[in-house]
Parts: sequence; C-alpha cells; structure tokens
Amino acid sequence: MKKYALFLGCTVPVRAQHYELSARNVAKELNIEFVDMKDASCCGFPLKAVDAETSLLLAARNIGIASKMNLDLITLCNSCTAMLSDAQKQMKNNEFYKKFKELGFSYPREVQVRHFVRVLYEDIGIENIKKHIKKPLGALRVIAHYGCHYMRPSQLYGFDNPEVPHTLDEMINITGAESIEYVDKKMCCGGSVLGIDEALAVTMANHKLNIAKNNNADALISICPFCTVMYEDNQRKAEAKFETKYEIPVLYYPQLLGLSFGLDQNAVGMRFNRVKPAAVLEKISPTPSEESTR
Amino acid sequence: MIDLKNADPNFKWEIIKKEGGEGLLKCFGCSDCAASCPVRYFDERYNPRKIIRLTLLGMKNEVLSSPFLWFCAHCHACTERCPQGIMVADLINAIKNYAVEQGYCPEGYKLQLDLLKRLGRLYEIEDFDLKKRQRLGLPPVDKTIPEVAKILEYTNITARVHSKNAHANPKSEALNSVSCRTLDVRHKQIQITKMQNSKQDSSPDKKRVVE
Repeated sequence: MKKYALFLGCTVPVRAQHYELSARNVAKELNIEFVDMKDASCCGFPLKAVDAETSLLLAARNIGIASKMNLDLITLCNSCTAMLSDAQKQMKNNEFYKKFKELGFSYPREVQVRHFVRVLYEDIGIENIKKHIKKPLGALRVIAHYGCHYMRPSQLYGFDNPEVPHTLDEMINITGAESIEYVDKKMCCGGSVLGIDEALAVTMANHKLNIAKNNNADALISICPFCTVMYEDNQRKAEAKFETKYEIPVLYYPQLLGLSFGLDQNAVGMRFNRVKPAAVLEKISPTPSEESTR
Repeated sequence: MIDLKNADPNFKWEIIKKEGGEGLLKCFGCSDCAASCPVRYFDERYNPRKIIRLTLLGMKNEVLSSPFLWFCAHCHACTERCPQGIMVADLINAIKNYAVEQGYCPEGYKLQLDLLKRLGRLYEIEDFDLKKRQRLGLPPVDKTIPEVAKILEYTNITARVHSKNAHANPKSEALNSVSCRTLDVRHKQIQITKMQNSKQDSSPDKKRVVE
C-alpha cells in the first residue's frame, strides 16, 4: 500500500466535495492510503500577487506538516501544486529557510509535491490502473482540460509536455472514454483573473466551453477545483454573455475513473455536479442494446 | 507616447530585488510572451512585453497605475516560450508585488488577505459544511488555522496593503465597461468568422480575429 499526505486546500473541502469523495474512493480501490493533514491552511497562492514571500511561507508551512508526517504530499488543485512545489524548491534557499525557521516551523525531511493525477500516472501506472477497469465508458467522448499549473512552469515540474500535454488524455482513454483531440488544450480557464475582471475571465472560460460544444463532447474533464469554478459555476454567465446554450457537465477526473471502476454514482458524488450529468449517466448505464448501437 | 522625462532610473533595480524579478534585464523585447499570452488573445490591452519594456525604461507611474498589470493569469504560457529563459509570469508577479508596496492593491486581494488572516483559508467552514462532509463520510477539517495570521504578521503584509499611501483601486468602473464592450465586439467577430469558416474548418474558434 502506498501512503501519502493529502493536501485539500481551500476550495476542495467546501466547494468540491465530490472531487474529494471520488478521489478518496478511487484511491481506496487502487490501494492508496491518504493521511489527512491536521492544521493545513490555504496553500498561499491567492497571496502571490500581493507578496510572493508571504505566499511561499504559507506554502512552506504546509509542506512542513507533510514533512513531519514523513510522507510525500498529494494535492487535488493545480494552483496548490504549483505553490507548494515552488516552496519545496525554496527550502534550499538559505535566506528563505532562515525565515521559515524563525517562524518556528520545521522541515525535517524533503517532501515531494505532486498532483493526484500525476501520482496515478507515475506511481500507480496506466497498466496497473487498467486492471481495475470493470465498466469501460466507451459511450463517452470528453474534452480534457489540464489547467495551467498541472504541467507549467516546466522548470518546476519537469513532467508532461508543457505545450502539448498528453498524460490526462492517456488517463481518460484507459477508462474507455474517448478524449477528444483539439487545439488550445493548454488554454487557461481564466480563474486567476476572475477577481480582477469578471468579463475577461468568463470570456476565457467560454473559449473551451465553445470547443466542447463544437466537438459534441459529453463532458469536460477537469482536475482543478478552480478550473471547475470557471467552467461549471460560471457556465451560466458564459451562456448569458455569449447568448448560447452549453449544458456541458464538468466532471472531475476521479469521478470518471471511479465510474469506470464500477463504483456507484453516489460514491463519486455525481449528484453534486452543478451542471447535471444525467445524459452522461444515461449513456453509460449498462443496457446491452445501447452498447450495440454505439 | 513615452515621455522619458518622467522616467525613474531606479525602478528596474527595485523590481530586480523582488522575488521573481531577477530575470528582468535579460529581456530583449522579442514579444514571444505577448504572442503566447491567452489573456492577450482575448484582450489586447494586456501586453506583458509592454509592461516589461516600460519597467526597463523606468516608467514607474505608467506601470504601477495600470489596471492591466493585474490581468496576468499567471498561467506561465509565456515562461515556457521565453527564449531568454525568464520566468515571465513570476517577473510580472514581482511588479505586482512592488505595486502593492507602493499602495496599488486591487480590492479583491485585500478581501482575500483579510479572510486568510481571520480563517487561514479562503472559504469559511460552516457547521453546515461539516455536517455535509460527515454525511458523505469525509473527515472533518479545521475551521481556522491561527498560524497563518502569525506568518502575515511576520511579513507585515497587512500593514503594507492597508498603508496610508494607498492609492484608489486602479480599476475604475469606466474601464470595466470598456473592457466588456471590447470583448463583446471581439466575440461577435469571432462568431462571424466562425460562420464563414464552419464548412471548411473543424476548429473555427482557433481563428484569430484581427481588428
């Protein structure tokens, strides 16, 4: 059994419980143990624009908690991943480490920070995960949305291709669902500018919703709670602004994976998706006649 | 029009001192950052190259008071393509940090800062949330993390953000309405181009509209 410290961040435990629930249940199936981090705070990313050092200290404190637990850290949010990885790198900077120590924090052992999907890809492996697929989702065609901080900046991660990412597509394809190839895969959701200029942020989110619609995608697959805020919570706003209708469900990758494992839809929190995924569930419901018509 | 009479030759050195500002002098103005920028794709008033050039020239007031400085989504598309290896998004972030020190901090960030000081997280955990989590079989989470306030006090960030020399929020309502209009016009043009291309091109939304 592989064991990791689970960092939830701000958004997941309050606004994306279905992401957390599906991630935990998928992990259980794959024999991964999550250990919760007591006293973990905000990762620090929201403060980066105000003061980078403060945000790094917040992040460093969090990885310090994982370090004391003697575990590597898993995140569910892309921006948390970037912020904590950055802090992990900063720990080697003497001046920064001095300040960290001055605050009374400790970092007894190096901690690896990775996104859950990356851990599935790297530590569990596609071949291994394939063995757990009991209910292939061949009826679904979906759009993969990576989110910027899953693989960029590459100087920080050295994982996947920052220009043409592919790992999430691979991970989707093993569930049996088709990950649609499209341009602008790395387009930003606009989440970071939501608080600065909503019109701009919604326009950016609209871009990929439009791509999903033009490709007749059944769903958009996200791996970041803030990207989901943009594509799901702000979908109505995009529809109003651009006088169109999307109705595109936004699923978290562990939800999709869980469904392919044959988990019950409640075990992956399908009723918490704000754009109701009824059509998705109908398409994958196990009636043989439906299978043959595809 | 740039009037160098108002230039502050020390401005660039101040930025270089900031976390993330180290790469500033390496910029030779190729514009790869602007060409890669997803924000600029939708709103041409944001231009990372222009911000960097103005910084190098010492146009402190222009840079710091510009509402567009805050448009950077920190997506690092620019960082990946910079031929000089500058962490461009972090460089823009260093300029933002300096702007905050000089009293230009968007209201949204002040609110976030206050929340973090009070709770240690961005969203308040209500009893309702804890009950919902319990129902779902999810473990409880801490409502507040007081150590965060300790860090904020240590770096003195709250005092800096709410300092007396704070300028009014750089983004005015007027600018906002202009922004929406520009975007609407652009979107309509995209729609038109799309209709024209829908037969031949399978990915029409990629079409760049030149205004």
